[in-house]
Amino acid sequence: MREIASAGVVIAVIDGPCAGAELERALHADIRVAADSATFSADGANDVAACAGRLAQLLGEARAKEIVLGMRTFDAANALRLGLVTRVVPAAALADTARALADTLAALPPLALPAIRESVRAARQLTPDAALALEHRHFCRLLTTRDHKAAVAAFFERRPAVFTGE
Amino acid sequence: MGGNAQTRWWTDAGVGYVVLDNPPMNVLSDENRRGIRDALEEFRRDDVGAVVLTGAGDRAFCAGADLGEEKHLTDDTVGAFLARGEQTFRIIRDYERPVIGAINGWAMGGGLVLALWCDVRVGSTRAKLGAVGVKVGLMASNVQLSRLFPEGRARDMLLTGRTVEAEEAYRLGLLSDGGALRQGRAAGIDVHGVHRPPILGEPGNAVGGIEAAGEGERDDWPVRLHNA
Repeated sequence: MREIASAGVVIAVIDGPCAGAELERALHADIRVAADSATFSADGANDVAACAGRLAQLLGEARAKEIVLGMRTFDAANALRLGLVTRVVPAAALADTARALADTLAALPPLALPAIRESVRAARQLTPDAALALEHRHFCRLLTTRDHKAAVAAFFERRPAVFTGE
Repeated sequence: MGGNAQTRWWTDAGVGYVVLDNPPMNVLSDENRRGIRDALEEFRRDDVGAVVLTGAGDRAFCAGADLGEEKHLTDDTVGAFLARGEQTFRIIRDYERPVIGAINGWAMGGGLVLALWCDVRVGSTRAKLGAVGVKVGLMASNVQLSRLFPEGRARDMLLTGRTVEAEEAYRLGLLSDGGALRQGRAAGIDVHGVHRPPILGEPGNAVGGIEAAGEGERDDWPVRLHNA
């Protein structure tokens, strides 16, 4: 497993067995992509309770318990089905997939990305109304940014936009 | 039954239908916002059992905010614009009876937000959903998707703005009733045990059955819906 960061977004690239401490690290990435040969297990985690808690956040309690208490090792297809990873590709294509994903992120106007991450966190930490209010505040702020206006202008002029992070 | 320049609505067999009709992509206009509000008020008075919300044509359910409209906003008008948008979403969210989103094409940006406030989403083979705000430096539907999905899936869609097409959307749970879609049988959404929306209940209908939605059927269903 390796991690790449692009525009502040962490991508876990999982190409083989991902167990214990490696799984714990992967769970804190924003996006997880895996080779079809990857396997997953919580066995050997440094902090089993924290690992279980994070899995419950990501996948729901029943699935988290099955993985941690059931000591299950599962393959990439199952990880995709559970929502533990979001993309599975042949091992030979994994590096290109990760690179393309990083390039996609790097080309986006950058200000929305931290706002999305914060809103996703808020969705599980705050009440629904409080999380929606936070999201709405971010939306109002982003609507006034130079990057958003540049994106709209570029859309109407059918040309690529240039973003400055303002 | 009613309508305005870009929205139509009517009641049939105890089910209210609202069609956003702002071609070519059904971007969400002020007429649509007013139409949704007026339609739901009328349906509430008529005590309909459920509501079906869809887009006219076979290209788009709702392609989100009108960037042309938004471009002309000033510091004085932006607040009211945002409030109108929020109010529309709240009206759907707080409606007392089930609201079914019939996703007949693109649902992106604010259109995805609209779809996600529906209680149930069914789709045609042309359904395409995307949280595209990030591509223009915005974001929306973060909280909705995070609560609907395993969080990693939400992050993937939200941070990349990628398009999820009909089949993947069923697999992920973004659209309901994959069994009906695979088998091409009726969607079987039985609202309150009494009202079965005709467009959802008939086998071979594009909204009810993804496999039944062949080319001919696909062209046919919005027409039938309009004439219902």
